[in-house]
Amino acid sequence: MSPDRIFNLGFDLATTISILALVSLGLAVIFGMRGVINLAHGEFIMLGAFATLSGTRNGLNIWLAMATAAAVVGLFGIVVERLIIRRLYGRLADTMLATWGLSLIMVQMVENRYGSVTEGIPVPVGNFTVGEFSMSKYSLVLMASAVLGVLATYTIMRRTRYGLLARAATQSSTMAEGLGVNTSVVNMWTFGLGSALAGAAGALLAPVVGVIPTMGQTFIARAFMAVIVGGPSFVLGTVSASGLLGFIENIGTNWFTPVIGQAMLLMAAIVVLRFLPQGITGTRFRR
Amino acid sequence: MRDQREMTRDLLSRVAAGSGATPAAGSVRSDLGGAVLAFTAVAVLGNWVQEFTAFEWSLWAVQAILALSLTLVWGYGGIFSLGQAAIYGIGGYTYGFWAINLADNTGESLTAVLAAVAVGAAFSALLGYFMFYGNITDVYVAIVTLATSLVLFAFMNSTSGSAYRIGDAAFGGYNGMTRIPRITWRLPGGESHELTRTQFLLFCVAAGLLIAVGIRVLARRPFGRIAVALQHNELRTGLLGYDVRWHKLAVFTIGGAIAAFAGALFAAWGRFMSPTVFSLAPAALVVIWVLVGGRNSVAGAFVGVLVVKGFSSWFGGASGDNEPIVLGVILILIVLALPGGIVTNIFKLKHWALNLISPSRDRLDAEVELATQQAAVYRPEPVVSQTEPRSDINLSTPESAIPTLKSAQPRARLIATAGLTKRFGGLAAVDAVTLEFPRGVSCLIGPNGAGKSTLLDLLSGRQNPTAGTVTLDSQDLTNRKPFLRARSGVGTKLQVASVYESLTVRENLWLACYAMPRDTQQADQRVEGLLDWLDLCEEAEQAAGTLSHGKKQWLEIGMVVATDPSIMLLDEPTAGMTRTETQRTAALVRQLGENASVVVVEHDMDFVRQLDAPITVLHMGSMFTQGTFDELANNDRVIDIYLGSHHGNSVSDASSADAGGSSDADA
Repeated sequence: MSPDRIFNLGFDLATTISILALVSLGLAVIFGMRGVINLAHGEFIMLGAFATLSGTRNGLNIWLAMATAAAVVGLFGIVVERLIIRRLYGRLADTMLATWGLSLIMVQMVENRYGSVTEGIPVPVGNFTVGEFSMSKYSLVLMASAVLGVLATYTIMRRTRYGLLARAATQSSTMAEGLGVNTSVVNMWTFGLGSALAGAAGALLAPVVGVIPTMGQTFIARAFMAVIVGGPSFVLGTVSASGLLGFIENIGTNWFTPVIGQAMLLMAAIVVLRFLPQGITGTRFRR
Repeated sequence: MRDQREMTRDLLSRVAAGSGATPAAGSVRSDLGGAVLAFTAVAVLGNWVQEFTAFEWSLWAVQAILALSLTLVWGYGGIFSLGQAAIYGIGGYTYGFWAINLADNTGESLTAVLAAVAVGAAFSALLGYFMFYGNITDVYVAIVTLATSLVLFAFMNSTSGSAYRIGDAAFGGYNGMTRIPRITWRLPGGESHELTRTQFLLFCVAAGLLIAVGIRVLARRPFGRIAVALQHNELRTGLLGYDVRWHKLAVFTIGGAIAAFAGALFAAWGRFMSPTVFSLAPAALVVIWVLVGGRNSVAGAFVGVLVVKGFSSWFGGASGDNEPIVLGVILILIVLALPGGIVTNIFKLKHWALNLISPSRDRLDAEVELATQQAAVYRPEPVVSQTEPRSDINLSTPESAIPTLKSAQPRARLIATAGLTKRFGGLAAVDAVTLEFPRGVSCLIGPNGAGKSTLLDLLSGRQNPTAGTVTLDSQDLTNRKPFLRARSGVGTKLQVASVYESLTVRENLWLACYAMPRDTQQADQRVEGLLDWLDLCEEAEQAAGTLSHGKKQWLEIGMVVATDPSIMLLDEPTAGMTRTETQRTAALVRQLGENASVVVVEHDMDFVRQLDAPITVLHMGSMFTQGTFDELANNDRVIDIYLGSHHGNSVSDASSADAGGSSDADA
């Protein structure tokens, strides 16, 4: 195999892993910190993509539109948290059901507004070539964003006052309250952060995938698997699970079809969970 | 009194909220009667209405069958599966493949229905194996099943190429599979008959009602009772010796077979299957039907389908475009306001309605009052007031012999540990403990954090050791699962009484009695003996959660005894007991020690003294010393570790004491 071919394969793999990490990070934050499975996560991603779309249509610079989209979805998440999620902490199945209801509503609302036609945003950057292979510079943007997103999340959780309070509220809500932390507000920010990350993922993916109301469905299966395979230490877990599952998906996609790649990802995840029910970081690492 | 009230209220609200099914009451005969009645009604109506309407109705029946599969899996088995619609889809496609290829030749498509059921069951079994044997629980099951459907969705959408076909049947990709034959049947050598639309309706309704009756019958059988039990308390179910994983797998597989059956009927109904059955909306729809109807009742499945259908066509707009919005709103509202569903909440609605009429009285409060009063009537006078505790009479008379199995021999065996170690990170909670617990009672004591409960967990199998072994006679138990240890005769009572709180005392004991010899009749009989022995006859029909702390502890001990263990591990059996109750427990434990090895972890020194048994002192995970109560009471070092002594010396103390301890053990 020629070096440029190897580079191309590696580049492809890195792109797959970055996308996986991007779409799972927001879910992982919310699940890891608050034990809430947000079944509308895919729709939050979709919302991010549509927000970017309407931003660019209204003449906004695309990068600015993406940033705005993340903020908009973050705010939307905060509203959802205050209206619904707030009442359901600790009731895992119920939060799943409620967010599922939300996801059905969101898909239909967006469909009513925009129709179910695939919309596109032009890729803002060009290609570059290595040897015989042409690759998109936008993939580099995705990789950089994934790394940045992971590092930013880690920094927020470890180095900021909010992060400390949020981790405290996660480990012992009553103790945190006893020490004067307003856990309700902290939870609200956590959900907002996770939603903003989902929005950012949608915004970043908008130029490379078809923007349609049902696009969330294509991401959530992978995102869920990455999060539960990752396990409780969610930043490290998301990175390692994305690496493992992205690798497997990439092999399936390159050798067979994208669908087989997805199926292989799922099967790999189920097999991993069969032997590590707590996920990769379940037994070894502390939160 | 206050506590009792709150507990009862809590229990009532939990029952009302439908935290889980309880074993169904009633008889097969009445169930069948109801089913026949319902069938007759549909038959009459179905022949009266237009054929097209009858045809519409049969879809409702098919969907009710699909809902029933989730009622069984989720309501009775406690498995939160979001994949029932996907298995339904698999059933539908399988029917399609089979019928398209064979119906022309064989002139019937009933074998295709059977094939669909078999494939659906096999698929569920495979998926279930990975989930339940990997101990994936709760929401993880939900996620895995949902992700599986979405992957199937993506896969089926990508199969439009001509390469994707089995025989004459093409997958069809996003266009779906077309021209699926209707249900036809043929007697050997006879002519082929296709079911008319009305016949199809009757076939679906009959099948649905039979499945509903079947689920209720199953729920009353030991299998169903165990399924319900494990939903309420998985830990206890395992400790009684039931294989929780196997039970979940069985329930999930049966549910899968039912869902696939519904799928086959659906394919025959519409003569068409498309990949959308694997997408999110149908998966949600099944959950919504069951949630709306109430997941603990088979009637709920039928009601749920009808009500949801009505709602979404009423509010969903003429073209049905807004149906997802209606469904989403229903989901959110149910979760927020009506978690038990309609059928289970009729009871609650009645109270609400009554409250509207006479708001002066809080009805639920009144209900609690009533329940509490009844409980008070049934509860015998506290034993405290009696000069001659009746428990002692009970325990000394021959009738009160432990109600063990008739065949049981005194078979006390020796449970022993060698170099047993459990580390949590850098901390050794149990550090190289080598101990033997011979027949009779042995006590484990030690200050908080000494490692007593961890040691007991290692013996019962709730935790696996980092190093060392646990042996029962010559068998190596070290890494054996708790339910297998229970089957080899290790019974465990946990620190916080672990009983089935919302099942009655009788049901609790029955589950324990049935665990060992799997014999319904014998279990029924032994329950009576145990109720008598535990002096819980009057509370037999009460929910176990409403018992006082002491009685709950007794109940749990009784459940352990019922499995006829040769080794009993009792973690703080007297926690929360009054002095008199403690005395009675001491007598009870001594009695148990007559033909079993009983290991007791206890803080209450008075109780330990009454047991009059050899005592092992644990300190910082290691064995500190052994001796009788009087020896230890006069041992300064033991008193030091309890009182903390001089902090600076404690480490060197402990290590020197450790050496002393092991020489004591040799002696």
